[in-house]
Amino acid sequence: MKFLVTKDLAHSTLLSYLMGSVVFAILIYLGLDTVLHAYVIGLDMHSVSVTLFGDAENFVEPILIDSLLLQVHIDLFMTLFAILILSSIYIRLYSDKVMTKWIVHLLFIMGMLAPAALILAYLVSAFFTAMWLISFMLWHVLASIVALMILKKLLFK
Amino acid sequence: MKNIALYSLPIRYMLIYVILILMSGLWLFLLSQGLECSESIISTLKNVIASPAHKSIEGLIEVATPHLFAIGTLIFVAAHFMLFSTKVSQKMSLIVAMVLFILALFDIFSYFAITFGLVVSGWIKLVAISMFIAFFLLMLGLVGVSL
Repeated sequence: MKFLVTKDLAHSTLLSYLMGSVVFAILIYLGLDTVLHAYVIGLDMHSVSVTLFGDAENFVEPILIDSLLLQVHIDLFMTLFAILILSSIYIRLYSDKVMTKWIVHLLFIMGMLAPAALILAYLVSAFFTAMWLISFMLWHVLASIVALMILKKLLFK
Repeated sequence: MKNIALYSLPIRYMLIYVILILMSGLWLFLLSQGLECSESIISTLKNVIASPAHKSIEGLIEVATPHLFAIGTLIFVAAHFMLFSTKVSQKMSLIVAMVLFILALFDIFSYFAITFGLVVSGWIKLVAISMFIAFFLLMLGLVGVSL
């Protein structure tokens, strides 16, 4: 991330455009990632429960632990990179704000909590299903807000 | 830059995320070797040594391809923070990073040796994955010490 702290944005139009473009791409990724998870796992309590635990009445089998763990493995990797890039640029542009530190903490913690809650819901208790829904939606919404704040600062400085 | 210390936050969280990724990867490997059917992790490891699960070339390439990109990128991102370290020498960082890249390739391709019949036992995969995880943790430790 050295490139994010060295050049002065006021004198580097290229860096500004590069940062804006990657944040725009991540913003689209966040939207499509939500849609993808709605298809694969579900985004309401009932559909998540059916995916994780199956539905005997409708002959729906629960998801295999291998498939769920693979999803969690991929999610952790993608979340790490999305949040790492967003938070680095956000810190650069909003380092003077008190809230910055807490927003970065919240982003990383929620991003980590979502896959952990999904595995816990499958292995321990259905209670964690709600935790997955909340943490998943919260980090996506928060990351989208951060991305929009970055774009606002870059485009309307 | 007023608050340069803020940048240590994403790096600290990155260390935790990478450990979680390594753990879930190890768990996935053990599941593919019959962890669910075995009584314990130890008996699964014994199974891997005695009779590793059969995997097709297609299946191995399907796993190897994303891992080459993902592990390569993860090592690059984690190791490049050592450029700013004042506590660990550049030479030490270079050695650890290069050994880690070699171990990653060894880990990714070791199962091909079993599938092609070069080795019968699965010890090669266990050695590869253990050394890779140990060195990755060492690299993360060096990054953590440097913060």
